[in-house]
Amino acid sequence: MSKKKGMSLQKKHSMTGWIFLTPAVILIAVMSFYPMIRAFILSFQTGIGANTKFDGLANYKAMLTDQVFLKSIGNTFLYLLIQVPVMLVMALILASILNNKDLKFKGLFRTMIFLPCATSLVAYALIFRCLFANDGLVNHLFVSLGILDSPYSFLTNAFSAKVIIILALLWRWTGYNMVFYLSGLQNIEYSIYEAARIDGASPIQTFFKITIPLLKPTILLTAIMSTNGTLQLFDESVNLTGGGPANSTITMSHYIYNVSFKYMPKFGFAAAMSFFILILVAILALVQLKVGDKRD
Amino acid sequence: MTRRIKNIIMYGFLIIVSFFSVFPLYWMVSAATNKSVDVINGKLIPGAYLLENIKCLWGNQDVTAAFMNSVKYSALLTLVSLLICSLAGYGFEIYHDKGKDLVMSIILMAMMVPFVATLIPLFQMVSKWGLLNSTLGFVLPSISTPFLIMMFRQSARSFPHDIIEAARIDGLSETRIFFQMFFPTMRSTYAAAMTITFMNAWNSYLWPKVIMTTAESITMPMVVSNLVQGYVTDYGMLMCAVLICTLPTAIVFFVLQKSFAEGITGAVK
Amino acid sequence: MKKKIIALLLSCAMMATLVGCGAKEEAAATTESAPAAEAEAAAEEAAPAAAAEGENTLTVWCWDPAFNLNAMYEAEKVYQKDHPDFKLNVVEVPWQDIQTKITTAATSGDYSTLPDIFLMQDNAFQKNVLAFPDLCVDLAASGIDFSQFAAGKTAYSVIDGKNFGVPFDNGAVIGCYRTDVLAEAGFTVDDFTDITWDEYLEKGKVVLEKTGKPLISMQAGECDLIMMMLQSAGASLFNEDGTANIANNDVLKEVVNVYGELRTAGVLTEVNSWDEYVGSITSGNVAGTINGCWIMASIQTAADQSGNWAITNMPKLVAANGTNYSNNGGSSWAVASNCKNTELAFDFLASTFAGSNELYDNILPSGAIATWAPAAGSDAYGLANDFFGGDAVSAKIVEYSTHVPTNITGAYYYEARDAVAVASTNAINGADLQSELDNAQAQVEGYIGQ
Repeated sequence: MSKKKGMSLQKKHSMTGWIFLTPAVILIAVMSFYPMIRAFILSFQTGIGANTKFDGLANYKAMLTDQVFLKSIGNTFLYLLIQVPVMLVMALILASILNNKDLKFKGLFRTMIFLPCATSLVAYALIFRCLFANDGLVNHLFVSLGILDSPYSFLTNAFSAKVIIILALLWRWTGYNMVFYLSGLQNIEYSIYEAARIDGASPIQTFFKITIPLLKPTILLTAIMSTNGTLQLFDESVNLTGGGPANSTITMSHYIYNVSFKYMPKFGFAAAMSFFILILVAILALVQLKVGDKRD
Repeated sequence: MTRRIKNIIMYGFLIIVSFFSVFPLYWMVSAATNKSVDVINGKLIPGAYLLENIKCLWGNQDVTAAFMNSVKYSALLTLVSLLICSLAGYGFEIYHDKGKDLVMSIILMAMMVPFVATLIPLFQMVSKWGLLNSTLGFVLPSISTPFLIMMFRQSARSFPHDIIEAARIDGLSETRIFFQMFFPTMRSTYAAAMTITFMNAWNSYLWPKVIMTTAESITMPMVVSNLVQGYVTDYGMLMCAVLICTLPTAIVFFVLQKSFAEGITGAVK
Repeated sequence: MKKKIIALLLSCAMMATLVGCGAKEEAAATTESAPAAEAEAAAEEAAPAAAAEGENTLTVWCWDPAFNLNAMYEAEKVYQKDHPDFKLNVVEVPWQDIQTKITTAATSGDYSTLPDIFLMQDNAFQKNVLAFPDLCVDLAASGIDFSQFAAGKTAYSVIDGKNFGVPFDNGAVIGCYRTDVLAEAGFTVDDFTDITWDEYLEKGKVVLEKTGKPLISMQAGECDLIMMMLQSAGASLFNEDGTANIANNDVLKEVVNVYGELRTAGVLTEVNSWDEYVGSITSGNVAGTINGCWIMASIQTAADQSGNWAITNMPKLVAANGTNYSNNGGSSWAVASNCKNTELAFDFLASTFAGSNELYDNILPSGAIATWAPAAGSDAYGLANDFFGGDAVSAKIVEYSTHVPTNITGAYYYEARDAVAVASTNAINGADLQSELDNAQAQVEGYIGQ
């Protein structure tokens, strides 16, 4: 007790901070880091099921010569490069439109745009497969509009299957990210916009000069989240295309799942691939943090 | 005149986006009212088969129990998780120093490992603690998430420091500042976080299916996945289940959306 | 002010749940063996009953309520006639989840979470028994006469000469045809009985020309048909010693070529997904299909086509000297090593799924056709099925299943199957078959070598 008295106010506040974050940090340490370390150790072991032995870097070597894994890296990065930027920009635009005070039916629009991510995966995979089936709605529409001569098999063609996965991701997650931007926009005083309007700034100028800089912390959050989410993409690959045709849409996490649960279970190999993803995400997140996390 | 054109473009854009967002949902609702054969053959108009599908579904699965379980797990997880993570996020930002920033970057690493990789060690722990088939077992791994902590940390950045200083001068303790100042001011962030956390908890599937081994502990996503396992899938019934599984998240969003999108200016002052 | 009160109330609620949660945690921690705080409370009430029940109760995991769960409930009823105290606790668990749970439990070395009896996909038996030698119990002591089951079915769950599974539902391959569509093209179902794939192709072209309908639809990227064709010639993707047999597998090459020809001619149309596959049949877009006999249940959902369907056997491979019979899908019952009362589990299985005509008669209406030969002798199996033109389909299918050649599943079945699916998809789209098969061989050898 006597010690505490001697503490400076700043030190005391620092201590309070540590106390505030202790429960969360302990939980993460126990529920995430401990299993992570176990998995890291496992990544140096080879063998089947529970029978494993240390084998140095064998798993990491095998990983880099595994054609399916290499293909899955390529696919995942393609999704990342195209889908994440498009989605975040669309979410930003939608959020700033919906933040407009004069807009009517705001609540309705917001709910409708958010709803896709609340839709159960099973349903939306089924719906997308139905829509893009050979005699599905999209083919009917394209044929009757004269865009296509005969029905096109969207999900059995490597290129169009990838496009559909990207479309599905955009459809599902744009509204989700919009929610973060909307809540972030609330922390910006409306008077700033009023002032800008009085100064004669165009909406586009306001968007780039006020909205984006002030939303930077939120944009950073969503960018890291989406990068992470895309690099761990699993559901769409499994449910929409099953990774096909010929592995042209399979993602890293889908392949790791196969190696763990569908194939002869090799958790060492799966763990090695997982740590490869970890390193990739960590590097990307670090870059994003360096660029976006300055307190000004 | 230009204002009018601007409005037309704006509303037009919103209507198109909303249409694409809602169409699959419409499809789902209409499918829930149709026979399986009609669903699979792409019928788009609502039918008169809803009651039949509901009856089939309840005959086939214990939907009531699953729904109650899901509500229980998700509500509990959401409340606890929001409290712990917002405290941490606030702590990381308001009292930030080099040490805490470092801990934050380390914590971020925790969300970057694919869940499949940590599944086995996590299962071993939870089973050793005797928490299989329990609410606590379901909740524990996802209470504290780097994502939520970061979300609260990012939004705490816009929390005015003058308010904190003023409150300190008034003699409020740090804990009371958090609950009486930060908490109401950040209503929009809490509402958004609540929606997202509830949704994730409601839809979580891989973890419950590993630790839940009795018929009584079934959740809604498990009901849905039970329905697509057989040799024959009844798509009408499936869509009915999916609809029931989707509704709660939609309702939670609808109720909370006003909070995170409609001005909180009053609360700060 | 109002807002502040609400905020305060909310935070109180949060604190309360947190405290409640902590208390539960303590309770669970102090009573180490308690499975859960909640289950604990329930157990306290029902403790005496549970103890008495334990000796006569078996827990079973399986999926598909209309099919597998129903079969287990019927088996319970049959067994209860002689053992009135007997009880089954059947839990619905989808196959993928059973696999996940097996893998997590086995890898953690904690089998106690598994049930007494579980259903396993036939294709996964080799993998799971070899990966987790302590998972299943050898059924030699059960007294079940495995020779009464169809050999092609039993072979799936035999590892090193030991039986690990009690064969359950039949996966014998049937050719299903729309008789009204065939008639339009001038054929009857007899024209598709005991034929070769070449004849199938030629007749398929005629059907396509005259009715505009392909004979068959298949899910692109999956190689169901390819695997069925392989087994119909007794071939597989593995050698006796477990090594991969893909690159120099002549039967496989013939199969992929036949598949390619069918697709090029338009006699076979590829669809995007399983839903679309079922849809193509029920909407009448195709003139038939070839699959495991369980597909009949899906076909019969198209009630308007009743009487217009007929079933027969599948075409055979010529060069490989194949048969007209094969198998696709199906599953078998396994007894987990966790089972406390293996004698009861053995006796239950032996006197129901391996010994009760009554059971098989009772579950026949759900579409579950036996692989247990004596079941086919009963009257129920001889009944006419009006949907399939008044044919006694059940007896027919049991008869088919006795002709199915056995082949080697292999512990790396799913790896090889996926690799071959990739190779055949690429080859059919124009890539060189041999180099694609070489890649597949290398990929599978990579898995085995690790």
